[in-house]
Amino acid sequence: MKKRARLPGLVATAATLALALSLSACGDGNGGASSDDGKIHVLVYGDASNKVEQQIVDTFNKTSDVKAVLDTIPGADYQTKLQTIINTPQAPDVFFNWGGGSIKPFVKADLLLPLDDFIKKDPDLEKKFLPSVFESAVVDGKPYGVPMRGTQPVLLFHNKKVLDDAGVQPPKTWDELLAAVDKLKDAGVTPIALGGGDVWPTQMWFQYLYDRIAGPELFAKAVGGDKSAWESADSKKALDMIKELVDTGAFGKNYDSVKYTNGGSVQLVASGKAGFELMGSWYYSQQLTDHKEFAEKDLGYTTFPSVEGGKGDPASVAGNTNNYYSVMKKTKHPEAVAEFLKLMYSDEFVKAQLDIGNLPTTTNTDKFIDSSGTPEYSRFQYDLVSKAPSFQLSWDQAYPQKASSDLHKAVQQFFNGQLDTDGFIKAMQALPTD
Amino acid sequence: MTTQTTSARPGFVWALPAAVFFALFAIVPLIMVAVLSFMSWDGISPPEFVGTDNWSRLADDPVMLNSVWLTLLLTALGVALQTPLSILLGVWAAGHQRNRAVLSVIYFIPLLLSATAVSVLWRALLDPNFGIPADATWLFGDGNLFGEQATAIGVLAFVSTWQFTPFHTLIYQGAARAVPQVLYQAAEVDGAGRYRQFFHITLPQLRTAMITSMILMIVGGLTTFETVLILTQGGPGTDTTISAYYMYDKAFKSFDYGTGSAIALALVVAATVVSLIVVRVSGYDKMRSSMEGVS
Repeated sequence: MKKRARLPGLVATAATLALALSLSACGDGNGGASSDDGKIHVLVYGDASNKVEQQIVDTFNKTSDVKAVLDTIPGADYQTKLQTIINTPQAPDVFFNWGGGSIKPFVKADLLLPLDDFIKKDPDLEKKFLPSVFESAVVDGKPYGVPMRGTQPVLLFHNKKVLDDAGVQPPKTWDELLAAVDKLKDAGVTPIALGGGDVWPTQMWFQYLYDRIAGPELFAKAVGGDKSAWESADSKKALDMIKELVDTGAFGKNYDSVKYTNGGSVQLVASGKAGFELMGSWYYSQQLTDHKEFAEKDLGYTTFPSVEGGKGDPASVAGNTNNYYSVMKKTKHPEAVAEFLKLMYSDEFVKAQLDIGNLPTTTNTDKFIDSSGTPEYSRFQYDLVSKAPSFQLSWDQAYPQKASSDLHKAVQQFFNGQLDTDGFIKAMQALPTD
Repeated sequence: MTTQTTSARPGFVWALPAAVFFALFAIVPLIMVAVLSFMSWDGISPPEFVGTDNWSRLADDPVMLNSVWLTLLLTALGVALQTPLSILLGVWAAGHQRNRAVLSVIYFIPLLLSATAVSVLWRALLDPNFGIPADATWLFGDGNLFGEQATAIGVLAFVSTWQFTPFHTLIYQGAARAVPQVLYQAAEVDGAGRYRQFFHITLPQLRTAMITSMILMIVGGLTTFETVLILTQGGPGTDTTISAYYMYDKAFKSFDYGTGSAIALALVVAATVVSLIVVRVSGYDKMRSSMEGVS
């Protein structure tokens, strides 16, 4: 009797041990790059563009002995997950990033492979990409990324009908923009839609104005660690102009409650309640999805206006230059990775990207634009980017990732008056630059 | 036979699986967080021991201090709004009125939605140009609910009330049903009206339920997170940055896991202390019978 009664206890103990063992086995992990399962792992931001990435991986696998595997992580979790695994055995061989500050900490921690050797063996790996775009993944003078996906310059979009009704032309200069704001206000619409609830759209106004007024050098200095740049006369001038624009009511009164990500600001422009919106080039396909008729008939776009007396070239652009593939130093198959990266300037890649609305930044893109879905818009963007003397990477991408939260706070607080000029300058100077 | 009855009783070994899991997923991480709070770690480079740096920096950090105040404010608002509402609803739902079951099901729906869905829903409903504020400008003015601290906090309190009142109603409904009917019958004989019955019988009898519900509200309030993440992202600026969100912001957005861990640990301590205080003050620990006065 006694023996029988003890059985459940033994079972429970055994079960517990078994569970504990299986759990610790999970921790060892397999399938990661460094555990060397004979494959190269490509980690990407999970979204609609994965279709093309999978296609390229499949093409690569047809000829390569070392097979590639595409691992996707849902977009919202990508950065956190990447940061968590990058210094563990689960790290990928090749991974998606935004260039600039997004890879700087990894370079500093000596995790990434400089691509000099790859480029020496195949100069096309550099030459086949637009220089201003390739530049964005250069850290401390060494290239660490090969462009993939498409470029995303920020453009000034508008509702043609609203502008016509108010007797306004798309502005070429800052003064014209101010005049347009006045006329749109008189016409009873919000002059400029802004999804301030997301904060990053607000930041776009800062990065463009700074670029127009001071040229790209000021921000380059600041992000390089020279914090005095924020106190310069140009910096203060840019802030004054932003303040002036906000105070005239250009963005209305409730921009901080409006979001771009839930379609709020998009609808403001589409429904004719607002005239302009400053947004990345993905705006066009967003409008096309949300408000097809409007996008086809009345959606206009132009470049950010020039600023009189500014040191920046009006042809310069700001935004996300591109996404990049970077390579982990500890990859076991550098040759296979080099071969894989070559596909990023292949004709197949360019065509597939154009088909889903992305605009690749390779030199052969030109040939395929006219057969793309929106040739006129693609052409406009491509000409803009290829002729731009400089491409200002979005501030929150240029700074190390750990600065972005405080950067966003400062931008929002300056915009809604919680910080004055000095407060904003102090907040920017407090941002970590490495 | 006597041996069988004693040994068949659940012994410590029965609790072992649960204990192991609890240790693995609660105790061990808690210890790791405690250790991490004395280190500087960005998630990539090896962690570095920095002593009490994280803690002393937090003590001087205006955002942290403000976040504690905001957390307490939101928790208090939650208790103040949800308690009366759920008591009234719960007592009502414990009765036998017509359509009660149908209505109960309807007001129960918010609880079935995830906090994320609820937040996304209200963010859209409160859009200043296309949501409710656009149609009720007499109430909302220019609709800048998320652009001002006071209204943003108001929205957060409202949304959690909307979501969690059904749950607490359920607690009160169960408790109200357990009140012995003889009490009401006796009161009626004595000539007490509905209001007197409510204040002198129902409410005192609900005391234990009230404590349970309030502890849950307080702990829930201290750890509120998703609503802030989705509705305001701690903004405008840092105006709605409650402690739990600040922890996330530090650890997972600014990759400062040391500071994040310190905030997390402080939250654990605070929630424990507050619960203990509520239990002690209310006399819940003495397990006084809710049937007192009956026997």
